[in-house]
Amino acid sequence: MATTVITVSNINKSFGKVRAVCDLSFSVESGSCFGFLGPNGAGKTTAMKIIYGKCTRDQDGQSRMNIFGYDPATNELAIKYLSGVVQQEDNLDDELNVIQNLMIYSRFYNMPAGTAKERIEYLLDFLELSEKADSKIKELSGGMKRRLVIARALLNSPRLLILDEPTTGLDPQVRHLIWEKIRQLQRQQTTVLLTTHYMEEAFQLCDRLLIMHKGRNIMEGRPHDLLEENMEKYVLEVRDAEPGPKIRAEMIPAGVRMDDALEIVRYYCDQIDVLKEMAASALKAGNYLIRQTNLEDVFLKATGRGLNDKQ
Amino acid sequence: MTSSKTILYPPLHRRLYSVWFRHMRVYTKNLLSNGFPPFLEPLIFLAGVGLGLGKYITEPMGGVSYIEFLGAGLLCTTAMFTAAFECSFGTFIRLEFEKVYDGMLAAPMTVNDLIVGEMLWVGSKGFFFSFAVLCILAAFKIVALPYGLLAPFVGFLTGVMFGALSLLVTSFVKTINHFNFYFTGFISPMFFFSGVVFPVENLPAFVRPVAEVVPLTHSVRLVRAVCTNHYSAILLLDLLYIAAFIVVFGFFAIRRLRKRLVN
Repeated sequence: MATTVITVSNINKSFGKVRAVCDLSFSVESGSCFGFLGPNGAGKTTAMKIIYGKCTRDQDGQSRMNIFGYDPATNELAIKYLSGVVQQEDNLDDELNVIQNLMIYSRFYNMPAGTAKERIEYLLDFLELSEKADSKIKELSGGMKRRLVIARALLNSPRLLILDEPTTGLDPQVRHLIWEKIRQLQRQQTTVLLTTHYMEEAFQLCDRLLIMHKGRNIMEGRPHDLLEENMEKYVLEVRDAEPGPKIRAEMIPAGVRMDDALEIVRYYCDQIDVLKEMAASALKAGNYLIRQTNLEDVFLKATGRGLNDKQ
Repeated sequence: MTSSKTILYPPLHRRLYSVWFRHMRVYTKNLLSNGFPPFLEPLIFLAGVGLGLGKYITEPMGGVSYIEFLGAGLLCTTAMFTAAFECSFGTFIRLEFEKVYDGMLAAPMTVNDLIVGEMLWVGSKGFFFSFAVLCILAAFKIVALPYGLLAPFVGFLTGVMFGALSLLVTSFVKTINHFNFYFTGFISPMFFFSGVVFPVENLPAFVRPVAEVVPLTHSVRLVRAVCTNHYSAILLLDLLYIAAFIVVFGFFAIRRLRKRLVN
């Protein structure tokens, strides 16, 4: 039985009149990957920042937090010491080279110089950056900078790794490399907290997912369960703007749910044959697509298709 | 729940040292371009005075020749300028553009550690800049050794003091251009009216109290005592002023910057 290492109950955070986090509760088991999914401005980053003490939660007397036995409001140093944090920005020291950047941080963790050098050598190898050890930060690509920030977060062999949108803006190769490394760390019993708005990333990495919207927890569970419980298995997508035959309302069989978005009409159903028949009887081949539903469908169903004012 | 055995995060002095070390490492990365000007600047200043202006000022000032008078003042102003620049433009860039502090605060350190460490760093920078001026003054026999060797310690205090003040100013600043007001309106006038280029006793009576309120006057009085090896009880008040200034301005700087660093 895995032990619970993070328990958060009923936390709130307001910035002036805006409630960034609203009555949020969740718990995370040791060695698992827990993901926060949500549109921009949903409160994911704020929730993470509250955990490592970069943000303070509202003191309303109701909230409780236990991060590896500590509450960030009273013990931020202990939590920071056992965590590694990868923030959204690559805040590296441009004046220093790759090794020097890591050496500076090893001092923050009070690592003896010898231990630090060994650890840095290992981490540069782990993240495939060994060749860049003496490079200037400006010479690194976006993907290398990100990997360096991850290496920096791993310096003190953290028990908790906090990743705030770790692969945003990176190409598929780097993204897959980073996913692979995160899985390796998990196998070594590192607990991972992750925010993302890539559904695939969430599906690939997370043991549990929490979908946030406007600061609230609107859905939580194993990615597979979320999909199964909230979504039909298949979807037929028809581009509305296309000329030619259309599916009329009276042609929709029972058990099929229609979602009429701006340009695309989607028909959801658990039986693929029903959708195939619908398409064959009313649509031209090539005008439609039948596919399995995915987390993105769940996400859009849960958070709506409209943009909020922070997106 | 996991059993919460005590986590051995670094003790206070190690945390402060690591912040200090970070700044020192970045500063010494460009040792030539950062370390050379502190020596060059007093040289240019003294050349200008010694070769030109000094010839017109034949009367002794404050009991010493003009070049000695001005030279002693430079021991402080150099520390003031370096601390004021580092904790205004430098701090603002780290805070808003480079986001250096965000990364540091994810490591085991508090906002207090970060700001106090930075103040200690600019104190050290003040020490080094004073030392550079001292080397030039000593080379030209403008300051007597060994008394003068205490001057860099005044440079340290001056650095910490202007670091605290500049950090507080930075906490109010929204765009980097606002610092122009601080330098033109406060730092530059202090250079002229705090007893560096002429004794404060020569100021009109109604301006004198103002000179006593601003911080540089107190550093200058201390450094003059050091250079002439002539101490009086009033210096204790100057020391007290500097200590109180650091504590009060440092306290408010931390309080205000915390709101920008931790939301």
